[in-house]
Amino acid sequence: MKPVAFDYERPRTLAEAVRLLSTNADAKILAGGQTLGPMLNLRLVQPTLIIDITRIAELTRVEEDGEAVTLGACVTHASIEDQKIVDPSNGFLAEVAHGIAYRAVRTRGTIGGSLAHADPAADWLSCLMALGAEVLLTGARGKRRIGVADFMRGALDTELEPDEIMDGVRIPKLSKKARAGFAKICRKSGEFADAIGAVLHDPERGVLRLVAGATQGRPIIIDPATCPIDMNFPPPLGPVRKKLEQSGLAADVYELNIHMAAIARALDKAHAQ
Amino acid sequence: MTAITLTVNGQSVNAQVTPRTHLADFLREHLLLTGTHIGCEHGICGACTVEINGEIARSCITYAVACDGAEVRTIEGFDDDDLMARLRQAFSEAHALQCGYCTPGMMIAARDLIRRKGGLTGAQIRTEMSGNLCRCTGYVGIVRAIERVMLARPTLSLPTASPRKPQLGPAPGPQPSGSTAAETKAQSATVRLKDASAGAKTGTTPRLSAGSAKKRRRIKVETGSVEASGGATRLTQAFVLEHPRVEVWRLMADAEAVARCIPGMHLDGPLVDGRAAGRMEIALGPIKASFAGEGLVVSFPNEFRQVITGAGGDRKSGSSASGEVAYRLREEVGPAGEDLTRVEVELSYSLTGPLAQFSRSNLVRDLVSRVGENFAQNLDARLSMPDGAEIAPARLGAASLMWRVAVDRIRAGVSKILGRPPS
Repeated sequence: MKPVAFDYERPRTLAEAVRLLSTNADAKILAGGQTLGPMLNLRLVQPTLIIDITRIAELTRVEEDGEAVTLGACVTHASIEDQKIVDPSNGFLAEVAHGIAYRAVRTRGTIGGSLAHADPAADWLSCLMALGAEVLLTGARGKRRIGVADFMRGALDTELEPDEIMDGVRIPKLSKKARAGFAKICRKSGEFADAIGAVLHDPERGVLRLVAGATQGRPIIIDPATCPIDMNFPPPLGPVRKKLEQSGLAADVYELNIHMAAIARALDKAHAQ
Repeated sequence: MTAITLTVNGQSVNAQVTPRTHLADFLREHLLLTGTHIGCEHGICGACTVEINGEIARSCITYAVACDGAEVRTIEGFDDDDLMARLRQAFSEAHALQCGYCTPGMMIAARDLIRRKGGLTGAQIRTEMSGNLCRCTGYVGIVRAIERVMLARPTLSLPTASPRKPQLGPAPGPQPSGSTAAETKAQSATVRLKDASAGAKTGTTPRLSAGSAKKRRRIKVETGSVEASGGATRLTQAFVLEHPRVEVWRLMADAEAVARCIPGMHLDGPLVDGRAAGRMEIALGPIKASFAGEGLVVSFPNEFRQVITGAGGDRKSGSSASGEVAYRLREEVGPAGEDLTRVEVELSYSLTGPLAQFSRSNLVRDLVSRVGENFAQNLDARLSMPDGAEIAPARLGAASLMWRVAVDRIRAGVSKILGRPPS
């Protein structure tokens, strides 16, 4: 199928993109287009204006400070896979990136586009929640910063206001001894995950966080503050299972078991590092 | 039409394209480069794989206008490429093609894999090549062909890295000012923009709200199991309101008031004989739909029960939906002896048309419980303001019963149709 006719704009600055977005009610941002493209072709989405943000230099920036690395929203999965960026994660991000969809998708799909679309099965959502990353938003009223965990409100729903654009992702640097693991269970490689497990254990920074992703809504975050586990690694699985049950997975044994399996695999991978 | 300038197989091309023309159509229809095949046309099958600035990409979900300033290489552009010549020979020897439809995409993806990685074995090659589908299921021959060239890789002179500046975003990325044809258009187009502040929304009011924030309570909504059968989806929900049943019934028996508590629901006018016309608006991510139709309300006051049925169509997508909401109010007593009301809701709905092509139920609970929560909050807000006159119609980013539709669509769209996650 072919998309409906739409206008196309290619702003060179973020300010111009925000202006276009805030003055066109039916506008849609296009980054890599690896989800939007199919949705347009299927006419699931029928915008009057497409705002292509891939020509905005600021959106492919890589910035580093003492605590974190900030990636522009248009950095592709392939750029992360190929380690073309400053890596805050001792190789973890590259490993996750390599598992996203297929190479021909990763070369155009972007980290910001993935987060802004907020499909529960998106790899970056679970991964970056485990890492404690934040997204940077720019709108007509200025800039703000918000944790990925709070950014996603539910399936395909985020805190983005209609006139806001995600311009980057701020990912904390892991300590040398940090262990991170990521596992997903799919029926076919590159497919949507049935379950995702993501784990970060960073004792130097006092972080132990497990994420059960690819649920029907927001990924479930498990840490010592919300679950009776301590900082020891690996954490006992009993309380983790209990937490998943309490978080809405109890009704479906398959869902519960497959998410536990993904977490167990992620823990194994993190353990092995 | 937008003017674009790009390089295709080493030759500079100037063209006028509509923004919605994807690169595969542009290559095939405008340039008659029919070696690029179109299979699924939504990014799942890989038949349309080409190189853009040296990296493989799906040309059916990349728009030609977005390739202004890019260097595109199609299967026709690999005639003199040594590595591709080896692959051609191996594909021939290993019987790696039957109908040949997937072959151009297979070969471009395989060449890219061998260029980037060495030493992969059969299973690894299968994983790496899983973005390219062969409808003849001739994978054994394809994998064998790639394996042969992979084995010979150490002896081959591999394509040298591109002299281009490494790019972190989708190609072609930021260009020098005014360097491409569409750039000029993009700049001039800003003239028609109004002042940014004119269109800016005020404040950051939560989208899920209706009514006063002061009296806001979190109402916990239990969502029961979700069943899908015979095209209809059924589910149950329940929540407790801190108001006596008589009061809740007074509100819930007023279908117009209830409609105002449902996110995205608009009635065209008052109820006549229990009937009303209206519409349900949905905004799920970028998907927007508006189901216009008619509803019927039947009350059973003795049982504190009401059944609302409705059906409508979305003109944009040509889809239609029908549904039924039945609720019953039960009296409960709170810990301090206060009168509470438990609202038990049974929902069922079905869809036909393009929006219903896909079905996937695992996102239902999240969405529906959010709809239910939202509805419950709005009811509570209304009940807490007896006059209720000033409660704005419910509006939200997150919910309506139809949301589920759209989500299924997306997920299935991505799962079944796209066959891969959004990126």
